[in-house]
Formats: sequence, structure tokens, C-alpha cells
Amino acid sequence: MKKSGKFIFQKYDTENLINRRAALVTIAKAGVFSLLVGRLAYLQIAENGNYKKLSDKNRITHRFLEPERGIIFDLQGRPMAINKQKYEIIIIKEETRDVEKSLVNLKSLLPHANIDTEKILKEINSRKKFIPIGIIDDLTWEDFSKINVNIHKLEGIYPQIGFKRYYTQGESHSHLIGYVSPISKNEEESNPLSKLSTAKAGKIGVEKAKDAILRGKLGSKNIEVNASGREIRELDRVNSIQGKYIQLTIDSELQKFCYERLNGLSGSVSVINVKNGEFYALASSPSYDPNIFSKSISNETWENLLSDKYKPLINKSISNQYPPGSTIKPFVALAALESGVSHKETFFCDGKHLIEDTSLESGYKTFHCWKKEGHGNVDMTRAIKVSCDVYFYQIARRIGINKIAEVCKRYGLGEKVFKSLYEEKSGVVPNKQWKLENLGSRWMVGETLSAGIGQGYFLTTSAQLSLALAQLINNGIRLSPKLIYDNETSNIYNERIIADPRYLKIIKNALYEATNAPGGTSYRSRIIGKYKMAGKTGTSQVRAISIKEREEGLIKNKDLPWEKRDHGLFIGYGPTTDPKYAVSVIVEHGGSGSGSAAPIASDIFKYLFEKKLILKRNEIFNV
Amino acid sequence: MFNQNNFYSAVFAKLKGINYPLLGLIITLFFVGLAALYSISNGDFNSWPLKHSQRFILGLIIFFLVIFFDLRLIFGYAYVIFFLSIISLVIIPFFGIESNGATRWINIAGISLQPSEFVKYTLILALAKYFHSINNDSSFIKTLIIPLIITIVPVLLVITQPDLGTALIILLGGISIFWISGLNYKYFIVGVFSILCSLPVLWQYLKDYQKDRVLTFFNPERDPLGNGYHIMQSKIALGSGGLFGKGYMEGTQSHLNFLPEMQTDFIFTMLGEEFGFIGTLILLLIYAALIMISIRLALKSRSLFSKYLSLGVCNVFFIYVFVNIGMVTGLLPVVGVPLPFISYGGSSMLAVMFGFGLLMNCYINRNIIIEKTNY
Repeated sequence: MKKSGKFIFQKYDTENLINRRAALVTIAKAGVFSLLVGRLAYLQIAENGNYKKLSDKNRITHRFLEPERGIIFDLQGRPMAINKQKYEIIIIKEETRDVEKSLVNLKSLLPHANIDTEKILKEINSRKKFIPIGIIDDLTWEDFSKINVNIHKLEGIYPQIGFKRYYTQGESHSHLIGYVSPISKNEEESNPLSKLSTAKAGKIGVEKAKDAILRGKLGSKNIEVNASGREIRELDRVNSIQGKYIQLTIDSELQKFCYERLNGLSGSVSVINVKNGEFYALASSPSYDPNIFSKSISNETWENLLSDKYKPLINKSISNQYPPGSTIKPFVALAALESGVSHKETFFCDGKHLIEDTSLESGYKTFHCWKKEGHGNVDMTRAIKVSCDVYFYQIARRIGINKIAEVCKRYGLGEKVFKSLYEEKSGVVPNKQWKLENLGSRWMVGETLSAGIGQGYFLTTSAQLSLALAQLINNGIRLSPKLIYDNETSNIYNERIIADPRYLKIIKNALYEATNAPGGTSYRSRIIGKYKMAGKTGTSQVRAISIKEREEGLIKNKDLPWEKRDHGLFIGYGPTTDPKYAVSVIVEHGGSGSGSAAPIASDIFKYLFEKKLILKRNEIFNV
Repeated sequence: MFNQNNFYSAVFAKLKGINYPLLGLIITLFFVGLAALYSISNGDFNSWPLKHSQRFILGLIIFFLVIFFDLRLIFGYAYVIFFLSIISLVIIPFFGIESNGATRWINIAGISLQPSEFVKYTLILALAKYFHSINNDSSFIKTLIIPLIITIVPVLLVITQPDLGTALIILLGGISIFWISGLNYKYFIVGVFSILCSLPVLWQYLKDYQKDRVLTFFNPERDPLGNGYHIMQSKIALGSGGLFGKGYMEGTQSHLNFLPEMQTDFIFTMLGEEFGFIGTLILLLIYAALIMISIRLALKSRSLFSKYLSLGVCNVFFIYVFVNIGMVTGLLPVVGVPLPFISYGGSSMLAVMFGFGLLMNCYINRNIIIEKTNY
């Protein structure tokens, strides 16, 4: 054996050399095989438990099932908010390797579809990765089947059948019923449906107020999926539970009539049953089509709705507050009666009333009657009939603001009518304490006079006025205002007497005269026939009238810009013989109550007397 | 040339000389592959299993054809065969078929073939002839120049296709012949050292996807939905198989398409999922037995050429098995190497049958003495 190194090949006897080298290779191979066996033993035996879990997770996916929303019915059992099937497209981030690529593929399949990639990506990244994100909300059948055919190109994208809300009554009911749209960030925690990005929640109106009842319960299913997330088979399923049905006290035909009678004017109508507090109509005008919200609404449409000066998005029957004006006079008169003022006592009206005011040069402040030349001697009945301001200045001053406020509050002013409607405003019934707390100053005598004719700090809503009048007409029996039939408020109403019937008779008589006797403020709108209506007009100022302007002569309402004209109000009831309904009509900047609001109320009563003298619930059972 | 009787007796002699335990193991592996493909195609025999069977029959024909050739004839044409296979590699860029960003196939008479699969064996053939023919007393380093060139050329050609996995197998197969021929240890030490040093340079030449795969190999969680996905899913499938497996045709990972390339490179994973550790162990033992028999047969040959050739074939086969299983178990990067006899793939099946035909021919003609030629 020679020394290696001198030769490039090692010098053994060739046979032995090859055997030796082959043996070394064989040992190496054996070593490598042992390594493989060891590796397999590690993976398949030692780590088996972990990988088994991963494997199950791989093949079983949890999917939530959207519940169908509860249907909203009207008093007669007519469905007003229903669900329609729609075709939608969703994406699940966890189940796609490249979200953008999937979206690009989808776009090339549906070139005409409006897919906002940036917005979708933002949404995807802000949510948990297993939450399905809606891409296209409402798809045609053609597009839907196109997606189904090309599904293999769209990793993580799923076509599915969902529900869209449809409002059968259109714009006449939009404020009241409201609408649904995707669940917002701040609702996520309280709404279990937020696990589904495609789920909707009520945003306003009854849809929002009763969202928890209407939304139903999520179902879920475990499905076996393949690597691209396609469903192979269903392993188990918990069905979703449809939301409960809701029946409103609203009569949709009446509501529609009221809305149409407003005829595009900015204003509202409330109709209430004076016997049980059920609201049959709460119309607000102008309005919008609630069905535009079931599709994604364009920015332009939304901006237009927001900036419209007639505020179509606001429910004017509960969310807009107005000084009640002269419609407050029956309640002030009641307060006076309770304070011992005789209805026979007369006051002299010469068109104005003076009170001392040392801060002014003249030493007194003048309060004007709407009738410049005055009404002469007026008692309570006539004061209400002709709406004499001077009479009410004087009795207001005598009984004081706190008594007026107490009576008004007792009839429901200054507090929300429907506790459940989030957008409802409570109004203001001012008194001394209120001013001190809210404005930090002492009550002035002049403010009592303003309050006596429903001006000043007074603010009410249309629904409040109708409820207040209904309770007054219903012999002072307190009513539980009702909009939705549910278990919480039963039909039993509180029988507490909130006024002396003798006083109420005086007020009722005065209201009758105001409409049905010549010279009454709403005489022109009276109904001639078997059934009559009675009520009080109101004209509430939205601007202060300066002394200078008064001297130069008042500018007529029609010469003023729309937003500076007075609001026209009317509250009325009928039939006068056996009252069933109370109605309040507000026409924003309508000029005067007698000119704008009373004719509308008159037409509504005519409609009620002719078609709906008796409204009865046609009960819906949730099956 | 010869009369019929002589022909039949020659055929009979060859058939008698075949080592049947080896052939039996090959056929066993084929049936394992058939069962696996039947499971993957969800019980549809007419898709992959049928084609796999056809290819195996074609492979058997090649196997017997190679056996019936005179070993001396094969020795004589070794360089020609090698040269032809290199030509087929060279023309790929011009006539080849592109798939998944790599051009590896050429179309011959309607059949797509992957020449690089065959080059593994033709290189062994050429190197065996070369080392058989040289005088191993040579002290000149230039003796190594020719074998180095004929090894490097196909490796570079295959790398540019690009196909890193096959190139590595060709290289390792070639190097194994250097080793068996008794080349001094120090050259291997120098070789390994210089390869380690040139790694950073080679890295520059890798395609992005190859770099990705290597990086992902070292950290599979780096990109669980991209390249690491294959490794993760493969490990999940194997690991969830446990000791006894989920049962034939019951593998959820495989049947729900979580495994990529399941019928080709990752077929072992599917077997591991359905038959568990017991199944993979038995499969490894079959491979081990096949390799042990091959080594035993190789060492029985008298001529150096036969020994080099047989051991080379055996080594290439071993590297195949090791790289594939190493890859699917996460020990090696994903380089795209099929599991011989089991993976679905025509070229690899035909090539491996060609290789074992050579090995068997060497065994049958183990007593033939081949003269040295002037390479």
C-alpha cells in the first residue's frame, strides 16, 4: 500500500476499494433512512395530537347564518316592512391567499359592477379575518349565475342568497318605520349580528327602536371545506331564528292619506285615538324613499337629503320642536280654571297689554294681541274662540308660570311621548326653576305672558300636542300613548283623572265654538254634516318683531322669505258628539294656523268620518 | 444473424438471469402508487391510475429492452447515449414546452418527455465508462477534467430550465461515481469546501421563487399562505395520520385538496395521512430492501463498468427517495422531486425503469469482462 496523496485515486486493490466505498455509502444511506423514520415518528406519533387539531380546523369551517328580520305590520295587519331575497357577494379574508387578486378577478367578470376595491380592502383590514365582508349587495340573477360558474377563479369569494328589506309603503312611512343599513362600529359590541358583515341593523324609527326584537338570532353551521374554502358538505347546523313580528297602531292607509294631504309642504300630522292612546298616523313631509337604503346609497343622494332645506330626513312629528303658539291656550285656560279664575270673568282687550319694565325708556313693555284693534270684552270661551292674546296675558300673569307649566306637564308636554324612539325630542315646558337651571337667570314677568300664548321658551312636538289634546278631550283620563303593540305596554291604561270634568266641559265647548261658530279662528275649516270637528289654531312666531317694524306696519307672511314665516298649527278632535280622534297638524312656516294647518286637519277628519270612523286592530300572531 | 432457436434460448437465459425479488419489489411499489392514485382520484380508475398503469407497462417494456441489449453494446455506445441526452437538453429552450414558468419538457411523437430525468442515468453511464477505462494509477489531475465537464454541463443546463431539484440529483449522482471509483478523500473535502464558499455567489443566480422556497424551508411560518403553505399542509396531513392513519380514501387533507401536487411530489403525504406511521414505515422498508438488493447485485459484477453503473443507478434512486420524503416531511426545501414508482409522472417512471434495466443487465451479465477502451 502506497501513501495516498501522491495519486489522485486511492491505492487499494480495486475490488476492496469499491467494496469499502460502497459500504460507506450504504452506511450513510442507512443513516439517512433512520433520519427519515425518526422524522416520521416525530410527526406522526409525537406531534400527532397537534396536527390532528390543525387538520380538523383545516377542514371544518364555521359559518354564521343570517336570520330573517321580523316583519312590521300595520294596525290592519298589512305588512309594511318585509324581506325580499337578494343575491349578494361576500369575501372572507381568511380563505383567500390574495384578496386583491380575487377582487381583480371578480372585477374582470363583472366589469359593469360598482366595486370599490379601496373601500372593501379598508373594511376587510379593519375586521377580523374570518368575518365575511360584503362586496356586492344586490346582484342580478345573470351576474349571480356568472359568479357561480366562475367560482374556481374567485378564491375566498362566495355568492350567497341574503335578505333585503323592502318597505311596501314607500316614502309616506319612512320616518316612522325607519330603515336598516350595515351595522356601524359603535353598534358592533351590542349587536350579536355584527359577526356577519352583511347583516343590517335599524338606524332610525321603529326599525331602530325595536331592532333587538326584529333582528332575530344568528344561526350557524359547521361545514367541511376544501383548500379553497368551497363547501363540500354540511356537518351540522343551527338554524337562524327569524326576528319577531311587530304590529304598529298605525293605519297605513290613513298615514298615506295624511302624508299625501301635506302635499309636499314641510310639516307633520299626528292622529291619535282619544280613548286608548293609539297613534293611527304620524306623518312627516317631505320624505325620502326608504328603499334606497337597502342598496348602498350614493354620496350624492345622501348629501342632497342632508342639505335639503325642508329636511326630509327628520321626522317632524316627533323630532322637530315648535313653540305651540295659541294651541297652548286651552291648557292655560284649564290652569286658570284650576286656579280659581271663573270662566265668566271678562277682560278687556284693546289690542295690547302693558307691563312695567324699568329697563325700558318708556318704563313699560307692550304685549300685542294678534288683532291690532283688540277684541273688546272677552270671557274664557270667547278668548279661546277668537284666540285673544290679551286675555291670556292677563290670566297668565295672574296664575303664574309655575301653574301653567304644571298643567302642561300633566298633559304630557315637555316629555317624550314614545320612550322607545331614539330620535324623539322631549320639548320644553319652561318654569322658574327650569330657567334658573338651564339659562342661569331669574324668571321675568314678561316671559310668563309669552308662555301664556305658547311663545317664548315653550317647545312642543306634534305628537305631544295631539296626546295632550286627546287626554283633555277624553275627560282627563291619562292615556298610555301607543305606537307598537308589544308585551311591555298592554291595552290597560291608567284611569287617573287629571282634570275636573266640569272645567273640561268649558274648554271643549270653547273649542267647539272656535271651529263651528262664526268668528271662530278655524270657522272656515269647519265640517258641515253629521260629524263635526273642533279645535284650536296656533300661529307661532319664529322671529322677534321689533317695535320699529310694528310702527311701520307688519310685513305680511307671504312677503317674508319661507324660513322666516310663522309656523301654522292646529289641534283638533272629532266627532264632537262622541270624540274618537285627536289630530295635530303643523305646517312649518305655513303663515298661520287657520290658513295652513286647519284645512288639512279638516280634510283628515272628513276622511276619518267617512272611511275610518271605527278603527280596530286586526291582530297579527307571530308564528 | 442468429436463428430462431438461438434467439429464444438467449431470451430464456436472460429471463432466467433476472433477479426476481428486485423486480417483485418494483412491481409492489407500482401497486402502492396505483392504490394511492386511486384514492386521490376519489375512486376514478380511468383518470390517474389508468395512465399510471400504462406508463408502468411502457416502463416494463423499456426495462426488458435494456436487459436484452448486449452489455458490451451499451458500454460501447455509452458516450453516444449520453451525448444524445445532452442534445435533448440543449434543444429544450427552442422546442420545449413551458409549464409553470419552467421549460422542462419536449414533445416526442405526442408524448411529453422530461429529458433531465433520463440525463441522471445517462450521466452515470458515461461516467462509469470513463472511470472504467482510465488507468487509476494516473497521477495527473487532468484525468478529472473530462468527467467534471460531463457532470457540470447537464447540471448547468437543468439549472437554467430552471429545475434546481433535478440538477442537484444529477450532480449528486455524478459525484457518487467519483466517490465509488476511489477518488482520494481530499478532493471531496476540497470540493465541499469550495461549494460552501461559492454558495453566496450561487444564491445570486437563483430565481426568486427558488430563493423563496429555500427561505421558507428554514422558516415555514414565514409565509403560511404562500410557499410555506405546501410544507405546513403536508406536515399537517402526515401528523394527523398518526400511528394507523385515517384509513384508505379517508384522508381529509388529501381529499379536500389541502395538499398541493398531491398526485405527484406530495403523494407520500397522502399515504402517510391514510396509512399512518405504520404505512410509511413499511413503505420505507420496501425502499430500503430495494436499495439493499441493488447494492448486493451491483457488487456481484466483475467489471468495474458494471459496478459503477449499478451503484450509480442505486445511488440516484436513493437520492430520489430521500429528497422526496425529506421534502414532504419538512427536512429539505421543496424542490420538486417525485417519489419513484409511486408519483404520477411519465418521464420519471420511464427513466427509473431505464435505470433499473441497466442495473439488471449488469447483474445478468455480471461475469462479462469488458476491455478498457481509449475513452
